[in-house]
Amino acid sequence: MAYLELENVRKEFNNSVAVENFNLKVERGEFVSFLGPSGCGKTTTLRMIAGFELPTSGAITINGVDMTDTPPNKRNVGMVFQAYALFPNMTVADNIGFGLKIAKRPADEIKKRVKEMLDLIHLPVKGDSYPYQLSGGQQQRVALARALAFQPQVLLLDEPLSALDAKIRVELRSEIRRIQQQLGITTIYVTHDQEEALSISDRIVVMSAGKMEQVGTPFEIYNFPQTSFTASFVGQLNLLPVTVSDAEGRRCAFNGRALAVGQPIRFANGASVRLALRPEELNLGGASGDSQRNELTGAVESVNFLGSVVRIRVDVGGATISIDLFNERQLVLPKAGEQVTVNFPAESCWVME
Amino acid sequence: MTQASLPLQKPATIRPRGAVFNWIGVIPFFLFAIAFLFLPSSSLFIGSFQNSEGGFTFDNILGLSQPKILDSYWLSIRVSAVTAIGGGIFGFLLAYAVSIGGLPAWVRSSITTFSGVASNFAGVPLAYAFVAVLGRVGFVTGILKDIFNIDIYEAGFNLYSFWGLSLTYMYFQFPLMVLVMAPALDGLKREWREACENLGATSFEYWRYVAMPILLPSLLGTMILLFGNAFGAYATALALTGGTLNLVTIQIGAQIRGDVLHNPGLGYALAFGMVVIMAISIAAYTWLQRRTERWLR
Amino acid sequence: MRRFPLWSWFWFLLGTLYFFLPLLGTLNFSLRIRRDVLSLDAYNNALTDPEFIRTFVFSNQMAVMTILVSILLIVPTAYWAHLRLPQVRPALDFITLMPFVIPAIILVFGLIKTYSRPLTVFGLPVVPPLTNTVFSTNILLIFGYTVLCLPYMYRSVDNGLRAMDVRTLTEAAQILGAGWPTILFRIILPNLRTALLSGALLTFSIVVGELTLATFLARPAFGPYLALLGNHKPYEPFALSLISFALTWVAMGIIQFVTRGSGQGQLAGGH
Ligand SMILES: Nc1ncnc2c1ncn2[C@@H]1O[C@H](COP(=O)(O)OP(=O)(O)OP(=O)(O)O)[C@@H](O)[C@H]1O
Ligand SMILES: [Mg+2]
Repeated sequence: MAYLELENVRKEFNNSVAVENFNLKVERGEFVSFLGPSGCGKTTTLRMIAGFELPTSGAITINGVDMTDTPPNKRNVGMVFQAYALFPNMTVADNIGFGLKIAKRPADEIKKRVKEMLDLIHLPVKGDSYPYQLSGGQQQRVALARALAFQPQVLLLDEPLSALDAKIRVELRSEIRRIQQQLGITTIYVTHDQEEALSISDRIVVMSAGKMEQVGTPFEIYNFPQTSFTASFVGQLNLLPVTVSDAEGRRCAFNGRALAVGQPIRFANGASVRLALRPEELNLGGASGDSQRNELTGAVESVNFLGSVVRIRVDVGGATISIDLFNERQLVLPKAGEQVTVNFPAESCWVME
Repeated sequence: MTQASLPLQKPATIRPRGAVFNWIGVIPFFLFAIAFLFLPSSSLFIGSFQNSEGGFTFDNILGLSQPKILDSYWLSIRVSAVTAIGGGIFGFLLAYAVSIGGLPAWVRSSITTFSGVASNFAGVPLAYAFVAVLGRVGFVTGILKDIFNIDIYEAGFNLYSFWGLSLTYMYFQFPLMVLVMAPALDGLKREWREACENLGATSFEYWRYVAMPILLPSLLGTMILLFGNAFGAYATALALTGGTLNLVTIQIGAQIRGDVLHNPGLGYALAFGMVVIMAISIAAYTWLQRRTERWLR
Repeated sequence: MRRFPLWSWFWFLLGTLYFFLPLLGTLNFSLRIRRDVLSLDAYNNALTDPEFIRTFVFSNQMAVMTILVSILLIVPTAYWAHLRLPQVRPALDFITLMPFVIPAIILVFGLIKTYSRPLTVFGLPVVPPLTNTVFSTNILLIFGYTVLCLPYMYRSVDNGLRAMDVRTLTEAAQILGAGWPTILFRIILPNLRTALLSGALLTFSIVVGELTLATFLARPAFGPYLALLGNHKPYEPFALSLISFALTWVAMGIIQFVTRGSGQGQLAGGH
């Protein structure tokens, strides 16, 4: 039996549905992210696990115990809030020890545990500081320590990094992952940043408009998106309007040019569909004249330098596609207006509605 | 190039003269403050250390220890403390009710408007208003007598006494509390309560360990402000009791009218003592307010 | 899911009662000048009393003058402090807090002590006694009121200036070639309208009913008149009290209306 289970969870606010049909099993020690656009119900689901919202219907069990109607202060679930929510009137040490103090643990045990937590978050000397004396990143570490100090069964994090600047964000997310693995704590992490979700999760739940779109490992989500929403929300995606010319032979046509598709096509011949292509799977190269190869020609619209990659946008006649090239010093970049040929392997593309 | 940098150079060239020139801009205000705020108050200060020949003396300050004067300070302090605590608690509860107490939004805006009006409604009209409700033939006195058969004057109540004056002062005290505390209560973040619950705390523990400690400085600070507010009040007390209550302000008023203490120096000392108490309370208020602001940054 | 907020309603009700009962009582009294019938005679008597008209007009004149003096004194100073002398702002904050420490009765005591004889600097008389002539006493009264209202006016203006980022606005105007008069009258003052209006109305509602300063400087103002009226008229004072309450209400209502949403609160004064 899974450690944390959500069964058919549904939540309505004033008769409008925020979350529905939510079924999820999380194993002990697993790190699961909820990923989705703003307003898709991530926070609502998380708050139902924490007990701040009661599901309209459905059940939530933790470690085999039905928690659906348990009040939040009896759930033993730790939560980290987006805006830290540290108690401003308490020192860092008092903040971290608060959960233990409420549980009426002996003072020396609290002291020992607080020290452990301070070491864990690499802030051993800040115990006597007040929250207003810390930077945002430090405050969020303290919030994490506070949520972990009383050894909760599950750790919930609601966009814990979104108030921080880009550099700290990357640093702190690997910190969170390290601590999570060190403690082996079951964790749900809410974010709308796909890179964050892809980089630290064991599994990702992609959500849209209150529903689960897909659940899978980062690898599965990115490489084998099952819905067009997942495909376009996670990572960049080019969508080329094509018609199916030979479903059996896995071929479709774009502007009269035949293109080979690596995966089976589940549409009838003649159907108007879209061919999905990841920008990083496309290459620029001279025309080979080989009609068996997937090739498109067009004029360069723009060349954008993004650091480690260079994004080139090409008008292939009726559609613009993006191509990401790894930035290397010897790279010869085309100029805007130049005619180029884009090629891609059949295995890298798939057909969607 | 030269043209582009012109606006940048301009301030630099006038800076040497600018420093003095800058100060000229605020001089009229400081002159005014000296002439009509500091000179008058320091003249009272100096006066309280001068004998009738103009020589230095501590006699006036020592003279404050005579029973009548001590009584007046004591009465003023009691009235101020009672109305500060009473108005403070009532105002806090009301502020709680309208800010996070779950009442509809229109209640909040109407209470804020009331409070703005009531905290500015003081002096003679306020005294008359209380005569009209709680005087011997007042509105509420009458209702209590006719309908509930309770004669509050028989029971020992008197509007023109300590409790009557305190009830009247409360009319401007508690609204002031509402005006200050409602925003402070709004400042309690929902996440603090949730973080508390999440860590296992009950609602009581939340108030005990988080909400109250956060609010306490502004709660105390505002009560101190109310204390000073009542301590300096003169017009309301005069209009209500006609000078029969021995408050410090009433004593000072009598002294200005006709040297009832038969010693001008003692009058100045009386005023000086009052300013000291006011200054202490305002300083405490400011200190507590700063403390809260620092937390809530 | 939420329980009915019983206690909240209870406190709200109690607050409302405390607030309205005195007004009801006053209204009730003011209508009872004739035995057994309600009438507006008390209002009629009170409003047509020439003494009322005289004192009320006088108090209004004083209020208008106080507002003008306050604005002339505070706006340039606060503007200048925001623009060029941020280091004096703590001093201004402190000075404008002083009237809370020095209540009206102390202020008037000090003013009388200082200005009822010639003011001397190093033995040379620089200001003649101000309490000798009606005109100069009025000036003293206006300045006294200006001091009393300093916290409210200054805070209003300071908030207003803070909200509009004076420095950037002024520099933007200078770069576009605007001179000082243009900056002050076309940019700063229009943006301060709300702040000035609420400061002015607060000042107005404090000054018009003020008793202490007017009594001790022996000026024929509305506050002392109303206080004395109680000694020989039974009903008219209640009519006038209600009217002055209504005036406060109107003033505060306008302030609420013009500052709504801007987060500028106002606090109390003038007891
Ligand atoms: N207390 C509430 N009352 C009414 N509607 C609510 C409430 N909380 C959330 N909703 C609605 O439920 C939906 C889901 O909100 P939720 O906060 O879960 O989104 P989210 O995925 O966390 O978005 P974001 O990334 O912006 O935080 C939204 O349409 C929101 O308007
Ligand atoms: Mg959210």
